Amino acid sequence: MMNKLHGIIFAYLSNPGLRELTQHRNTCSIPYGGRYRIIDFMLSNMVNAGMSDVGLIVDANYQSLLDHVGSGKDWDLSRKHGGLRILPPFGYSAGKREGSYRGRMDALAGVRSYLQYIRQDYVVLAGGDLAVNLPLNDIFEAHVRNDADITAVCTSRPLGSPKDCDYFTIGAGGRITDVSVHPPIAQGCESLEVYILSKELLLSLVDHCAAHNIPSFSTGVLQGMVGQLKICPYVFDGYAARLQSVAGYFARSMDLLNPDVRADLFAPERPVRTKDRSDPSTYYGPGARSVNSLVADGCIIEGEVENSILFRGVRIEKGAKVSGCVLMQGTTIQAGAVLKYAITDKNVRVNPGRMLMGHNTYPLSIAKNEIV
Amino acid sequence: MLLAGGQGSRLHALTSHVAKPAVPFGGKYRIIDFPLSNCINSGIDTVGVLTQYRPLELNAYIGNGEPWDLDRSYGGVHVLPPYMREGEKGTWYKGTANAIYQNINFLETYDPEYVLILSGDHVYKMDYAQMLRRHKEAEAACTIAVLEVPMAEAPRFGIMNVDEKDDIYEFEEKPKKPKSNLASMGIYIFTWKKLREYLIADEADEKSANDFGKNIIPAMLDAGEKMTAYRFQGYWKDVGTIDSLWDANMDMLSPDNGIDLYDSEWPIFARTPIRPPHFMGRDAKVTHSMVTSGCEVYGTVENSVLFHSVVVEAGAAVRYSILMPGTVVKKGAVVEYAIVAEESVIGEDARVGASPDGSEDWGIAVVAQHLSVGPNAVVSPKAMITRNVKGGVVK
Repeated sequence: MMNKLHGIIFAYLSNPGLRELTQHRNTCSIPYGGRYRIIDFMLSNMVNAGMSDVGLIVDANYQSLLDHVGSGKDWDLSRKHGGLRILPPFGYSAGKREGSYRGRMDALAGVRSYLQYIRQDYVVLAGGDLAVNLPLNDIFEAHVRNDADITAVCTSRPLGSPKDCDYFTIGAGGRITDVSVHPPIAQGCESLEVYILSKELLLSLVDHCAAHNIPSFSTGVLQGMVGQLKICPYVFDGYAARLQSVAGYFARSMDLLNPDVRADLFAPERPVRTKDRSDPSTYYGPGARSVNSLVADGCIIEGEVENSILFRGVRIEKGAKVSGCVLMQGTTIQAGAVLKYAITDKNVRVNPGRMLMGHNTYPLSIAKNEIV
Repeated sequence: MLLAGGQGSRLHALTSHVAKPAVPFGGKYRIIDFPLSNCINSGIDTVGVLTQYRPLELNAYIGNGEPWDLDRSYGGVHVLPPYMREGEKGTWYKGTANAIYQNINFLETYDPEYVLILSGDHVYKMDYAQMLRRHKEAEAACTIAVLEVPMAEAPRFGIMNVDEKDDIYEFEEKPKKPKSNLASMGIYIFTWKKLREYLIADEADEKSANDFGKNIIPAMLDAGEKMTAYRFQGYWKDVGTIDSLWDANMDMLSPDNGIDLYDSEWPIFARTPIRPPHFMGRDAKVTHSMVTSGCEVYGTVENSVLFHSVVVEAGAAVRYSILMPGTVVKKGAVVEYAIVAEESVIGEDARVGASPDGSEDWGIAVVAQHLSVGPNAVVSPKAMITRNVKGGVVK
């Protein structure tokens, strides 16, 4: 059971709604939750299910992702056999393709030669843009038990905006009978876009779709073949966060201040792994105040922090006040500055005495390396 | 060569399960992280760690050396326990010099020109490359790192008496009337060929304690070898006692302690657990303290060092204390001037330790690992708890 699964993560996804947060990176390497990149969650899900081979399909703007995952050693994926493989579009017939992948089947066709040599009998297909702690072994057991062709993971809790999501209608007998792709309003269970299928089926689908110029898994495979294939849902109602817009990013970050959300996402039996930076502890100065906040290591806090998420190496100087903010790695808030409802990207500096204020529903977002 | 076999018996309950170098320190570290990080930061990529007492946790911690970038195909970190040889009985490491003697084979495989001898129970940052430069310039057989200590404290140390060029002409172990205040830090660089000769000669002497300070250094001085001192300036602390361990942890809280853990030029590396960031509850009050991943604080924490996954519940207070990984301080409990070891639980409304009252009986209270102190129990200052406490007052 343990090593029957192979992971493929679509790590090329980029969400334009995230604006400056994706200026220097694609969605998969967006910092989230104080010390993680969003892809850490899916990588950890796979490793925690005993999976040893994972391929990351990348396309463009992936320097930040490469820097983060490295050899995969922080996920125990630096292996002699298998382990982590970064898959740029190496196998694609030259000239045919313009711009980025048009869909998942397009991307899979781009790495067809890799898929052929997968050692496992089953493949998990997943996006790298979802913060979730999935029990992949349970999902695989259900897949085998149901004798399904494809198992599609979905949730009855609405997460994203319908026009960016897929929905399943679950019919009698527990099969998916209809698939709505990017409908105007939500209907049925929302897809988490995590699928299990056999390697054999995957390869035949890739070949079929390539031959028929079908780029999308959602429309081409799920929707198009819902009558021919046995597609079973796996309903997962634990916490999941999808990052589609700046306001959504902010709201999903603030979710982490809820202990139930943290208990779901950081379940101790399935820990979320990330790149190790060897930071020292966070130091709170004599006049510090820090409440209802999630704080990573390596910070020096001498001012006041409330209702905020602080990444590694953040400095809050004396007299500075931060409320309802997401401060990414290396942010410095200098003496007396006041920030409310703001997102600062990596290494932002806010000079002394500055006052910056967004709104709960429209947070102010400050791009990487900017000085205010 | 890092001597990590010491039991650390003066740390009592804290070393009942682990060797002293594996004792947690400074929120994220173990003591051995300091010399190991100093090695890699100084450009030393071949390190032997000599273990003997309770090595399991230390071995697991060092692993393949990856956290310190010491996972190498040539060199890297090697754990060196004593072992059996054919035709003779195996022996434990009899002393610091004997530990190196027993590993002459290991050293020969790397054929080094110089050997650095370190101990695994000191907290400091030092560039060994500078010390080696001094050793080479002085063309010495042995260079000993020394620290200027207050004259009044000199009788507690091994004292080096030096001439105007800082060459050592005399070594006195804990002298009653010290002639200088240059204390040996237990850090030596030897020219390997010389050391090898003296180790073999020392081993042949049945009366020898096979110790660097007691035997090798005096023998080399007697023989007129060139011995020189390398003056170190900066933070250095032997964390061999409960008091000094507590003190050194408190030092880490001071921004001007001389050992900047936040300095990215000389990072201290550690094997870190996989935990989410720490969370501060709505009523948390945390000042002048260090907190790290996995902690959840709902109460008050002042002047304290919290290791990973510590929980301080609402209404609990922790002051001037060290809480090692996974400890839980339940509602209403008060922990003051105490060290609580891994995974121990302080029950509701219990009290552990107290502020100094000037009396002779006062001291740091210690709760050993994996214990529980029951609700309303009182653990007196200076108490050393090694069994579960159900209730009542424990001295």
